[in-house]
Amino acid sequence: MTTARAFNINGQNHIAVVEAHDTLLDVLRDKIHLTGTKRGCDVGDCGACTVLLDGQPVNACLTLAGTVGERRITTIEGLAEDGVLTPLQRSFVEEGGIQCGFCTPGMALAATALIERNADPSDDDIKESLSGNMCRCTGYSGILRSVKRCGNYRSDGTCAKHDHHDGDAPEKSPDNDTVGVSIPRVDAADKVTGRAQYTADIFLPNMAYGKLLGSPLAHGLIKRIDTSKAEALPGVLAVLTGKDVTDTKHGVSPARYDEDVLAKEKVRHVGDPVAAVAAIDERTAERAVSLIEVEYEELPAVLDPMSAIADGAPLVNDRFERNINTHVEQVFGDIEAGFAESHLIREEVFTGNHIYQCPMEPHASISTWDPDGTLVLYTSTQVPHYVQYMMAHVLNIPLGRIRVIRPTVGGGFGGKAATSPLEINSALLSQKIGRPVKMVYTREEMFQYGRGRHKQHMRFKLGVDRDGKIKAFKSEIHLDGGAYSSFGVATAYYAGSMIPTLYHLPAYQYDGYRVMTNKPACGAMRGHGVPQPRFAFECLLGMVADELGIDPVEIRERNAMDPETITVNDLDIGSCEYRATLREVKERSGWAEKYGKLPPGKGIGIGCGGFVSGAGYCIYRGQVQLSHEKGREPFQKKSIFPHANAVVKITEDGTAAVLMIGAAEIGQGSDTVLVQMCAESLGIPASRIRMRSGDSDISPIDLGAYSSRITLMGGHAVSRAGTAVVDAMRPYAADLLDCNEDDIEARDAKMFVRDHPSRCVAWEEVARKYFNENGPLVGTGSYKPPDGLGGDYKGATVGTSPAYSFGSAVCEVTVDLETGKVKIDTFTDYHDCGRAINPKTVHGQVEGAVIMGASETIMEDVMFDEQGKLLNPNLHGYLMMTIKDAPDIFSGIVDSYEPRGPFGAKEIGEGSTLPVLGAVAHAIANATGVWITDLPITPEKIRRAMRAKAATAEDVPAMAT
Amino acid sequence: MYLPDIQLHEADTLEAAAALMEQLGPRAEYVAGGTDLLVDLKTARTEADHLISITNIDQARQLTADSEGLTIGSLVPVGRLNETPLSGTWAAIHDATQVMAAPAIRNMATVGGNLASAVPCADLPPILMVLGGGVDLWSRTGVRRIPVCEFFTGPRTTVRRHDEILLSIHVPPPANRSGASYERFALREGNSIAVASVAARIRLDDAGMMQEAALAIGAVAPTPLLLENIPAILAGRAPNETAWADAADAAVAAADPISDIRGSAEFRRELTGVLTARALRLATERIGGDST
Repeated sequence: MTTARAFNINGQNHIAVVEAHDTLLDVLRDKIHLTGTKRGCDVGDCGACTVLLDGQPVNACLTLAGTVGERRITTIEGLAEDGVLTPLQRSFVEEGGIQCGFCTPGMALAATALIERNADPSDDDIKESLSGNMCRCTGYSGILRSVKRCGNYRSDGTCAKHDHHDGDAPEKSPDNDTVGVSIPRVDAADKVTGRAQYTADIFLPNMAYGKLLGSPLAHGLIKRIDTSKAEALPGVLAVLTGKDVTDTKHGVSPARYDEDVLAKEKVRHVGDPVAAVAAIDERTAERAVSLIEVEYEELPAVLDPMSAIADGAPLVNDRFERNINTHVEQVFGDIEAGFAESHLIREEVFTGNHIYQCPMEPHASISTWDPDGTLVLYTSTQVPHYVQYMMAHVLNIPLGRIRVIRPTVGGGFGGKAATSPLEINSALLSQKIGRPVKMVYTREEMFQYGRGRHKQHMRFKLGVDRDGKIKAFKSEIHLDGGAYSSFGVATAYYAGSMIPTLYHLPAYQYDGYRVMTNKPACGAMRGHGVPQPRFAFECLLGMVADELGIDPVEIRERNAMDPETITVNDLDIGSCEYRATLREVKERSGWAEKYGKLPPGKGIGIGCGGFVSGAGYCIYRGQVQLSHEKGREPFQKKSIFPHANAVVKITEDGTAAVLMIGAAEIGQGSDTVLVQMCAESLGIPASRIRMRSGDSDISPIDLGAYSSRITLMGGHAVSRAGTAVVDAMRPYAADLLDCNEDDIEARDAKMFVRDHPSRCVAWEEVARKYFNENGPLVGTGSYKPPDGLGGDYKGATVGTSPAYSFGSAVCEVTVDLETGKVKIDTFTDYHDCGRAINPKTVHGQVEGAVIMGASETIMEDVMFDEQGKLLNPNLHGYLMMTIKDAPDIFSGIVDSYEPRGPFGAKEIGEGSTLPVLGAVAHAIANATGVWITDLPITPEKIRRAMRAKAATAEDVPAMAT
Repeated sequence: MYLPDIQLHEADTLEAAAALMEQLGPRAEYVAGGTDLLVDLKTARTEADHLISITNIDQARQLTADSEGLTIGSLVPVGRLNETPLSGTWAAIHDATQVMAAPAIRNMATVGGNLASAVPCADLPPILMVLGGGVDLWSRTGVRRIPVCEFFTGPRTTVRRHDEILLSIHVPPPANRSGASYERFALREGNSIAVASVAARIRLDDAGMMQEAALAIGAVAPTPLLLENIPAILAGRAPNETAWADAADAAVAAADPISDIRGSAEFRRELTGVLTARALRLATERIGGDST
C-alpha cells in the first residue's frame, strides 16, 4: 500500500511516497534525508529519534508515518532560524552539553518542548523531561547545565550573562582561545543543528544496502547453506557465504588472527556472521537474510571460563588447548618473602560483569570502489589506520589503495576499535555488485558483535605490614574472552600490568588466563582490562584498612605512587600528583566528618585509579606495509614509525590554517584540543584553524582513539607541525621587522620581536610573503614514543606509556535497606591529567566516565541463557543510567605538569573511569555493612548479602574481641 | 529494523473500526499509541497483516470527572492523564502515570493500551483495581463493563473479544476518609519497568479503624492481581504496622512471580512485602490531608 503523503516538517510541506510499514523515522531519514533525527535503537529505548509532533516530544521510530496526518513535525533542522542558533542550542554549545552529538538532536528537541512549557524549569523538571533520552558521553552533567542555563543566552545567539565555569584550572584572558582555555568544541554547532554527518547519514548515488546473517547457535558446524530463496527475492543484488570469501583470517593481535570474514565451517557464538546480502534497500536486505536456510550440527557450548578450561571441555577453537587463548605468568620481586613479612594477609574472590560500550551511534560502514581500484570506506571507527591496515590484509591490496573516511562518530569507548564485519563485508559486496554498499548494525547486532569489557574472575591476595604498607600482592585472573582473540591478549596483560602504577608494590605476582567461550568476543573498553581488577584491588585495600583500623584514605596515602619512579614491573612513572588528588577529594568531600559517622543506609567510599597516556607500542610490529608482505619483524623495543603525524597548511592569504591529522574524533573532543595546541604553536587563534581529521587521503596517519593517546601523541604532532610553520616564516618576519630570525615570536595572530611586542607585523602578512616567494606554506610534525620503554620480560610492552594519569574519587550513596536499591548521590573527583588543554573538555570526560563507571558498577550486565543466547541485547534489558539516575558530580583538576607531554598534558578519558567502580562499591559497603564482590552490585545481591549477614549474626552471638 | 509488511487502515468511528475488523479477520489488530505493538511487530513477538488505526475515534478520547466518577477514554495518552489534575484517591493514578516509561512514550502510549496489552508489569492496572475501576468494552451489540480485576486472563491475554474495542475506563468517585497509593520497584530511576508493584486503598471509619481496604499487586504474577482476602484481613483494624505486616504476608503468599533478567522470584516476593507495607502506609498518610 504505497501512497504519496504530505508532511508538515519544520513549517515546510514535504511530499513523500510512504508505505504502510514506514515509521516517521523511516520517512524522515530514508525518504526525505533529514538525517538529524537519529536511529539509535528503533524500539523507543534511546530517544535519539525524538521529534516534536505539534510541539510534543515523540519517538519517531514508534510513530506510523501514515497516522501523522497534518500535525506539525519539528526536527532538529527546524530549530535554528536563518542559521541562528536558539538560546537553548547556544547553551548546549557553550555549556558542554555535547560530546559525540548523537543524542544531541533528541535531547535538544525534548528540552525545547520543556522550555516552551516552562521557561524556568527545576533540575527535577529537566531530568524528568529528558529521562527517555540516553547519553553515553556526557554523564548528563553538561546537558543538565545547558538546559538550566539556556536563559542566559539571547535569541540572537549572544550571551546575556555568563556563569563562569566552576572548573578550577587557571584560565587565560578571554580573548585567548588556545591552550588551557575552555573553548567550545569545534564541532558543537554542527552537532546541535543536525548538520553533522554520521556514516549512516550518508547517501551515495546508486547505493545498495547490506545485511549480515548471524548464527542462531552459540556453537555449531555448518552442514549446508541454501541461499536460493534469498537470491530469488526481488531487489536482492548479491549473497555471500563463507565459500565465496577469502580464507585469510583477521583480528587485532597479530599472532592470533582467528576471525573468518564469514563462517567457513564453524559458528562460535550467537550472531557469528554466516552470510551477507546486498539489496536495493535495507528492508529488502533484512528480509533476504531471513530467507537464507542454514543447517547446523549443534555442538556443546562453553559459556564460562572456569568450565572452559576443564579437561575434556569442548574447544571453541582447536588452536587453543583447554580454551586458553593467552596465559600470562609474571613475578616481580620476592613474593614469598613479601607475604612472609606481612602482618596481615587477606585473600578474596571478585567477579566482574559483561559490560558493553553501547555508543549511541550504531556501527555503520559504506564501501565504494573507485574505477582505479581504490577502496573508499566510510566507517564509524576509532582507528581509521588499523582498519586500513586490516582491510589491506584481508583484501590483499596495498594500504595505498585504501582510503578510509571517518565521518562524525557517535561514541566508541573501545567498541569501534577493531575492524568490523561491516567494514569487510560492505567492501566485498560493493566489489561484487559495482555499487556503493551501506551496512548498519541494529542495536541487537551490536550486542552480538560484542567487543565489550571482559568479564574477569579474580582471586586477589594482599599482604600488608602493621601500618598498612603493602608487602606483597598476588593476582590470579580468568578473563572470559568470548569466541575470538580480538584485543584479548593485550587485555590479559593490561589486567596485570596497570596494578603497580598506583601503589608501591615491592613484590607482585600475576597469573592471567584469557579463556575462549562461546559468547561474542570481548575486546577493549574504556580502561582496557583494568577497571575490574582495579575495582577488586581498591575493595581489598578498603577491607584491609577496616581490619587494621586505618582510615581508607590514609592507607592509600601510605602506599601512594611517587613521581619519577620505575615500578616493580618496569613502568616508567614521570609526573605523579596522586597524593594531591587524595588530599583534594578528602578535603572537598568532607571525608573526615562523614566516614564512619553516617546513619544506616548512607555511605561514603573512596576509589582511585589511573591509566596510560597512549600505548608505548603499535598494535602490530614493523612498518606500515601490507602485513604479510614481509614476515613479522623482531621486536626492537622502539617504535618503527611515528604514531602521530600532522600537516598544517596555511591558506594562501594567510588568514587560516588547515590542520590535517588522522586522529579520530569520536566525541571525546580530540579535534578541539588538537586545534588548540596547534593554534598555540602557530601563534594564531584557534578559530582560524580548520580541522581535517576524517580522511586518510588528506591526513597522515595517526594510530587512532585508543589507549587515551591522542592528547599526548597527537598533541605533539600538531604542535610540532605548527612550530615548523613558524620556523619557515621566521626569515620573512625577520626581514619585515629588521631583526634576527631567532628573536621572532608568534602570538595572537602577530609576529613580533621578542620582548618588543610593539615591533610587530600581522601573522597573515608574513604568511602571504612566504607564499609569494616560495609557494605553499606547510609544516609537518610527528611523534614517536621514547625508545626503550618497558622491561625485558614477556609482555613488558603492555602498560608502557610516555606518561601516566592518576585520580581519586569519593562517592556518596543512599541505599534503601529494605529493597537494596542504591541511589548514587554525589561524586567528588580530582584528577592528575597533567596540564589541562581544555578544562571543560576534561570535566566532560570525567563526568561521562563517572556515570559510565557508576552505571556498570550497579546495573549493567549482558546476560546469557544456558544456550549462550543473549537475554538482553537491547537498551531496556541492558540497563544504563538515565539522567534521573545520575549523581551530582564535582570534577577537579590538580596542578600538574608532565614533561613528556605537549604543554605538560597527559590523558583523562580512560583514567577517569578507573576510580569509579571501587568508590561506588566502597560507599555501598559503608552504607549497608556488606561488601559485594560480584559486579554489578544489584539491589538483589545487596539484600541477599544483608539477609545472610543478619542470619549469621543471629546464629553466632556477638563475641567480645 | 523495519516493520513487516502490513496494510494500514484508519477508522474514525467505532462502527467503522468494527466493520474493518470484521472484514479483515483475525490477522488484524487495532493500533493506537503503538508503543507496545510496533515494538512487538518489529521484534517479531507479534504478527499482523493489518493494522486498524483508531487514534481518531473521538468517543474514546474523552477525559471527564463528575459525580458519577472518572471516565478515561481508552485513547487518552498517558501523558495527558498524567498532567490532568485529579482529586481525592484518583490522584494516586498519577503515582502510576508519572513513573511509566519516559515522556515521549507517554505522549503516544494510551491508557487503553496499557490495559489491553495486558503486560503483567503494566503500571495502571493495580491502581485502577484498588480504586474499583471498570473497563467498558464496546461492540456492535453494545457495551459491557468488566471490573479491571476481572479483565486479565493471563500474560498478554484479556477477556476482550477480537470484535470488541476498549472504549473507556471508569473509576467510581472517591469515598471520604480514604487514601490510595501506588508503589513500585524498578532497577533504575528513568524509563524503567516495574519489577514489583503494589497499589493500596484504605478507608477509615469515624473511629479511625479501617472500614475498607484494597490491595493489588503487579509484575509478580501472570496478571496484575486484586487480593481478595485483604478486606477480611484489614477491615475493622487500626491502620498500623502490625496490620501492614499481616497484609504484606498475604501479598507475599498471593504473589506467584517468575525469575527473569530483572529479578528472581524470591527477590520479587521480598519486594512485594516491602512495597505492600509502604503502599498501605502512604495511602493512610494521605487520608484526610491533601492527597494530591
